[in-house]
Amino acid sequence: MPAGKKECIPPCDNCDEPAIFFDPGLQRHLCERHLCLGVEQRVTSALTRHKMVSDGDRIAVGLSGGKDSSVLLSVLSHVIPEHWDAEIIAVTVDEGIAGYREETIQSAVSLTQQLGIPHHIVSFQSLFGTTLDSLLNAHPLRACTACGILRKKALSDAAREIAATSIATGHNLDDAAQSVLMNYFRGDFERLLRDSSSREDRGFIRRIKPLHEVNEKEITLYSMIKGITGLLPECPYATTAFRAEVRTLQAAIEYHYPGASRRIIEGQESLNEQAKKTIRPGTVSYCASCGDPCSGPVCQACGLLSGLNKGD
Amino acid sequence: MRLQLPDGTIREIGGEVRTVAAMLTGCNINPLEVIVTKNGRLIPEDATVSENDEVRVFLVAHGG
Repeated sequence: MPAGKKECIPPCDNCDEPAIFFDPGLQRHLCERHLCLGVEQRVTSALTRHKMVSDGDRIAVGLSGGKDSSVLLSVLSHVIPEHWDAEIIAVTVDEGIAGYREETIQSAVSLTQQLGIPHHIVSFQSLFGTTLDSLLNAHPLRACTACGILRKKALSDAAREIAATSIATGHNLDDAAQSVLMNYFRGDFERLLRDSSSREDRGFIRRIKPLHEVNEKEITLYSMIKGITGLLPECPYATTAFRAEVRTLQAAIEYHYPGASRRIIEGQESLNEQAKKTIRPGTVSYCASCGDPCSGPVCQACGLLSGLNKGD
Repeated sequence: MRLQLPDGTIREIGGEVRTVAAMLTGCNINPLEVIVTKNGRLIPEDATVSENDEVRVFLVAHGG
């Protein structure tokens, strides 16, 4: 910008208030109020278009206490009662990560009390007899892979325990684009085409992702504006993950080619629709150890835990 | 301008009016990965900052 140019903050595209956010993909400026309205409208639209909620549902909302799940719970607690006769219960999984989880769980407890939402907390220690820290100290595992498998199992068990009809998670647009890229980089076609939202009729509890059209920056701003979470620590294991590298790459692609993340997801959804016409769903079996629906003789969680007990 | 980076580092930057995006990319920061305030108020990446401003950059925390 040339020297001497006048300072400015662009106005919101919907009113005269100063913008706080610029969406380069959609070329629009939004003020605090319209950013929050936009987030709530997109969540409502996603819930409606993808038929994520029905009257009578009992929705288990995975609440880690971080910004995504906290914003998800906050938005759902407002929009669900306006449109559906459905119940919301927050579920928190305490993996046992010292110096990190204590603070986010306290934030989760405060939020559920503030919103008046029932809160169910389960822990790796009570479910699996160990914390994530102990597990990783004793075994050379990839932290995010092991944690992801066990957390998924813990959330499913907790959802069954409270008779939930679906599990809502705080996965956002950036998470979704990164997952597609990671599956391509791994050459994991099966996972790329897996659609957990359509498997409830085969014994799985339906998983819904109401924030999947909202990006991480919008969620952070929504959380700051509404005072939902303060500055929370990041998981100490997050930087070791493959996702951390893909995230940097995806953010760079999105910056240089605005809208690329949305197009990556739309491409994957089109691929998924085409695949459904030609690929038959795999058979579902039940875990010989815990009885959960799975695709092999034992589920991933039981496979992981029994392998550790054998010293694998 | 007094610029506070996510790691707490403070830089004094002189010179002309510039956009937030130009300032951030000059520090090798992707504007999509941060939130910026100018004199305590949230601003978009195409807003401008200048000599007397106090600018803070917050990292968008991942996960959760």
